[in-house]
Amino acid sequence: MSNLLTTLVAVLFFPGLSFILTYALWCQWVSRKAAARLQNRQGPLHTGWQGILQPLADFVKLLVNEDITPAAADKPVFNYSPIAVFAIPLAATFLIPIQSLTNLRGWEPIASFEGDLIIVLFLMSVVILAVFLGGWSSGNVFGAVGATRAALMMLAYEIPLSLVVVGPAILAGSLQISEIVDWQVASVNAFLRAPDIQGLAVAAVLFIGVVIYLICLLAELELRPFDISEAETEIVHGWQVEYSGKKLALLNAGHDVKMVLAAALMTSLFLGGPAGPILPPFAWFILKTTFCVLVLTNLSVLFARFRIDQMVAGAWKYLVPLAVLQVMAVVALSGVI
Amino acid sequence: MERDGGKTLSEREFIIPIGPQHPALKEPESFLFTVDGEVVVDVEPRIGYNHRGIEKAMESRNYIQNLYITERVCGICSNAHQTAYTGAVEEVGSIEIPERAKYIRVFMQELERIHSHLLWLGVAAHEIGFDTMFYYVWRDREVVMDLLEEVSGNRCNYAMATVGGVRRDLPRDKYPKWHKMLDKLAERTNYYIKVASTEKTILERAVGVGYLGKEDMIRLSGSGPNARSSGVPCDIRKLTPYLIYDEIPFKHIYVDNGDVLGQVLVRTLEVIEAVKICKWVLDKIPEGEIAVKFNPMQRLPEGEAVYLVEAQRGELIHYTISDGRNMPYRHKIRAPTLGNIPSLVERLKGGYIADIPITIAGIDPCFSCTDRMAFYDEGKDKTWTWTDVELSKYRKEWYSR
Repeated sequence: MSNLLTTLVAVLFFPGLSFILTYALWCQWVSRKAAARLQNRQGPLHTGWQGILQPLADFVKLLVNEDITPAAADKPVFNYSPIAVFAIPLAATFLIPIQSLTNLRGWEPIASFEGDLIIVLFLMSVVILAVFLGGWSSGNVFGAVGATRAALMMLAYEIPLSLVVVGPAILAGSLQISEIVDWQVASVNAFLRAPDIQGLAVAAVLFIGVVIYLICLLAELELRPFDISEAETEIVHGWQVEYSGKKLALLNAGHDVKMVLAAALMTSLFLGGPAGPILPPFAWFILKTTFCVLVLTNLSVLFARFRIDQMVAGAWKYLVPLAVLQVMAVVALSGVI
Repeated sequence: MERDGGKTLSEREFIIPIGPQHPALKEPESFLFTVDGEVVVDVEPRIGYNHRGIEKAMESRNYIQNLYITERVCGICSNAHQTAYTGAVEEVGSIEIPERAKYIRVFMQELERIHSHLLWLGVAAHEIGFDTMFYYVWRDREVVMDLLEEVSGNRCNYAMATVGGVRRDLPRDKYPKWHKMLDKLAERTNYYIKVASTEKTILERAVGVGYLGKEDMIRLSGSGPNARSSGVPCDIRKLTPYLIYDEIPFKHIYVDNGDVLGQVLVRTLEVIEAVKICKWVLDKIPEGEIAVKFNPMQRLPEGEAVYLVEAQRGELIHYTISDGRNMPYRHKIRAPTLGNIPSLVERLKGGYIADIPITIAGIDPCFSCTDRMAFYDEGKDKTWTWTDVELSKYRKEWYSR
């Protein structure tokens, strides 16, 4: 009985639905505020302290707005794809270790099994399918162009992304995210007790992985310089062009949840997950993922938008070979260890 | 598939409408793009969405009232329009304006050029998705906006020129402060030149984009920075100097890149030259009257005059005919964007969809200044005019279909 209750609380409140959604709004605020300050602007200012409630206000405002389905749209696909865009990354966050409800120092995820890393990667790719269907079914030329671009972009970044994620899994000898976190904690502790050259080599190789992963995430999250599929000045927000009201609110929330998922996955695979001294795991999770969001925001304000052909060519010319090399280095290192 | 022109499309081609409403266009104008995948095959521009009847309105107002109409042809080149209008009117009336007024007009014209080119630089950065540069450029543009406000009391529509001179003097005690502001502008613009010519992502989106060679540009009669970016030396200030431009030492800026990077370079280098001109004017400006008297009821002799001004966007032509009354018989304005549209169409062909916004923005279009309207039936080859009663009847029929 108490087990069922714990699970319910975990899924519905903490660290499940409510926590992730609130945290997604926080991440949106951090990202908007940081981007604004970097660009010499103020950013959100009037709703709550330093505009901290602005993401929530935007969400509620969109819920109230009129919801239009174009006459030319393929209605079922058009109406259901925002739900998929919102729900799929949300489901994937249940596999990320954040905080255990029974043990203050523990961090087992809501659901965990051998191979859950593959499931997370699969869910991240399926989101793009929903995006493509949503844009394509909207019956708008810009929507169709944006959808095609989203699919093309996925062909470019999906392979390096999956390759570098495999790196920590090979080193940990497991495809289970919580075990990868355990391996990181163990090896960092071992390194701190007795520093050696192998530990440094592993860190260096994984750092290359982090760089590739960050570049792929910019594309995955449609941030500059890879916001090609929604490029406002070119194709009027691309695949989102016909969405309004509740559906747009869901899409925006889905984007934020995707950002949380991406930052959480990066934290779990490369930054030691929610582990850390003194503070409880969820506090470390918040600190580390917020740091990831800040890094992503900083990168996204630095560049101009690439063209789709430049992006795809660049990914296949540089990212894929580099990712393959990184995996080979990881395999070599894991033999040494 | 068939469209208005009767041209058939192949299987792979489809039409993307850009405009009349589109985030990349700041004013209503329509372009129909035939695209094959991501590549533009053909472009069909449609102008005429913003007819305001300005030329007709000018025929029933006197020469002083028309000052305010010409100034409102365009928000960005308001002073250029006024300079051209007053120049044409003064030529018809053989009015000699004081030397100091000429210096002040040049000063205003160059300040406006700085503000317009910096505005364009920000918009161009925004079109290629580089919003950070957009915000930085527009922050620094505030310096010249403050300067303009200090001179005229307004950030745009300065109401400085009048027939017979200018309306406000430049107070001498402010010159040191203005020199400092101009130095700041030059320093920041030099920084942006460095950024635009070295930053990798900008170069990716600017080099070779919307290319048009020198011969094609001359054939399509482009003007202004658009033509000078293709290596055509066509600065009116050098070719047929007006006011005191023949006395001012400044470089004739033109580059032969022919692409968006060339347009960026021409405009930013022109900002540097404009700063130099402004500083020269502040140093050399003579004392004296700023205007000769001109009565609103004063009649001008019969005659006609053409006045050419190098506005920020290119060659601006004002042509006025007087029939001896105190208002023009006809006043014709040709804004530079009209001359730039043929070359724009050529620049767009063969490019990518992603490059459409920056290529259109590249000519610094001002469609509202350009738009004229005339009724023309292509099949029957005839033109006609409609009264407002007929127009509203047509509108009723159109919307009740």
